[in-house]
Amino acid sequence: MEPEVSNQSLLFLIVFVLVPLTLSYYYQLGMNKDIVWSAIRGTVQLFVVGYILTFLFDLNPFIGIPLMVSIMIVIATLHARNKGKELPNVFAVILLGLITVEGSVLALWLAFDMIEFRPSEVIPMSGMIIGNSMVAMGLALERMKSEFTENSGRLMAALSLGAKPNQASHLIITKTLNAALIPNVDRLKTIGLVQLPGMMTGLILGGVEPVMAIKYQLVISLSIFSSVSLSAMFITMAMYRYFFNKNDQLLESEEELRTQSK
Amino acid sequence: MTQAIFSFKGVTDDILNHLSFNIYKNEKVMLFGPSGAGKSSLLFLFNRLRDPKEGKIEFKDRPITEYDISNLRRKVGLLLQSPNLFPGTVLDNLKYGPSLCGEWNPADAKKLLEYVQLPESYLNRKVDQLSGGEQQRVSLGRTLANSPEVLLLDEPTSALDYRTAEEIEEVLEELVDVHQLTMVMVTHDLRQAKRLGERGLFLMDGEIKEDDQIKTMLTEPKTEELKDFIQD
Repeated sequence: MEPEVSNQSLLFLIVFVLVPLTLSYYYQLGMNKDIVWSAIRGTVQLFVVGYILTFLFDLNPFIGIPLMVSIMIVIATLHARNKGKELPNVFAVILLGLITVEGSVLALWLAFDMIEFRPSEVIPMSGMIIGNSMVAMGLALERMKSEFTENSGRLMAALSLGAKPNQASHLIITKTLNAALIPNVDRLKTIGLVQLPGMMTGLILGGVEPVMAIKYQLVISLSIFSSVSLSAMFITMAMYRYFFNKNDQLLESEEELRTQSK
Repeated sequence: MTQAIFSFKGVTDDILNHLSFNIYKNEKVMLFGPSGAGKSSLLFLFNRLRDPKEGKIEFKDRPITEYDISNLRRKVGLLLQSPNLFPGTVLDNLKYGPSLCGEWNPADAKKLLEYVQLPESYLNRKVDQLSGGEQQRVSLGRTLANSPEVLLLDEPTSALDYRTAEEIEEVLEELVDVHQLTMVMVTHDLRQAKRLGERGLFLMDGEIKEDDQIKTMLTEPKTEELKDFIQD
């Protein structure tokens, strides 16, 4: 059976928007405008991306893949850096991190023949890696900032006992990495039991044999697991030092972070 | 008691305004004054948790900037208002400082607990199972584990009830005498200042308004500011 969602069926999707809209209206959540706008924006974005992908998939892979992957990395960097705007060099660190993570994962995929160097395979899978890495970096940055604020007393105590910034930050680095990894471990534990992953569902709906779909899903799930861990580690190890100045003093205000970081 | 262990010359930062004074070996100095006077800011300059914008600070006749920061901080120990213990056991906390430079001797654990008057059985207790007073004792033991020459105290009893605060005071008094430490303590409690200190520095608006024997300052204040502060 060829899967087909007709334009007429698509129109009925409006029902799925009406449900949250009714809730918002009934409970006066003040989100009516947001709900309508996000539904329209999401629909338009997806169609535009669909046409762009059709165009990219027909391009020479040595042009299409670097072009699209670069665009995805830059957009992801711009988005993730909002979580740590007050920290110096955050844009460069995230950019470098995403390039490293995507580069390593792609190299492994190709080296072990997991996928072929075709835009139709590399671009969607890279999108998942970059997207998840972006979220992991953003969450790690936010978590690290709140840990530094909550534990400023402990950090001062550690510094005053003679600890260097890397020694004093050990607790914070551990907590940040834990927070970044635990949801991924949990997700892997329940994969397929609680929900069928998106990629696998898509492939099955597209007519691919479930076992083949599972193989692809395993490639992407484990790649995401690894890239999320690597991203959280990269951003945490690269950024913790900016919370101290060159005299091993803890910087607490945003102004201090901007002007005095190491 | 003539050798200056710390010497501040024209020290200025966002709060402090051109401070110059000496702290002598084995002195017990009480830094007191209203909130926002710059007491904690001044205390953090001693072990370089902060640096001044202008001026010079010397420790044992050498600018503090010439010392390795970690070594300076080991020599000039600090006890904060909250215990700020690290997760783990009492032992984990006691050995933290010496372990950083590979100098931890397990035999010291018992000695440190004795100093802060806690039983040896506490060594393997989780710190989150301790009372506020016990946690502050462990924090004090952790600071003493580095064998500091100077002890900085930032209102170490202000988060404790009166009875527990008095117990910590007794521990402190004994330790400072036995180990011949130089003590600089920030306090807002004038009675505590009188009980524990010999010399007082009254700080207000980032300036030292009075510097004298603490008992004299409290009975015969020379400035209107100190008179008002005592009356408040």
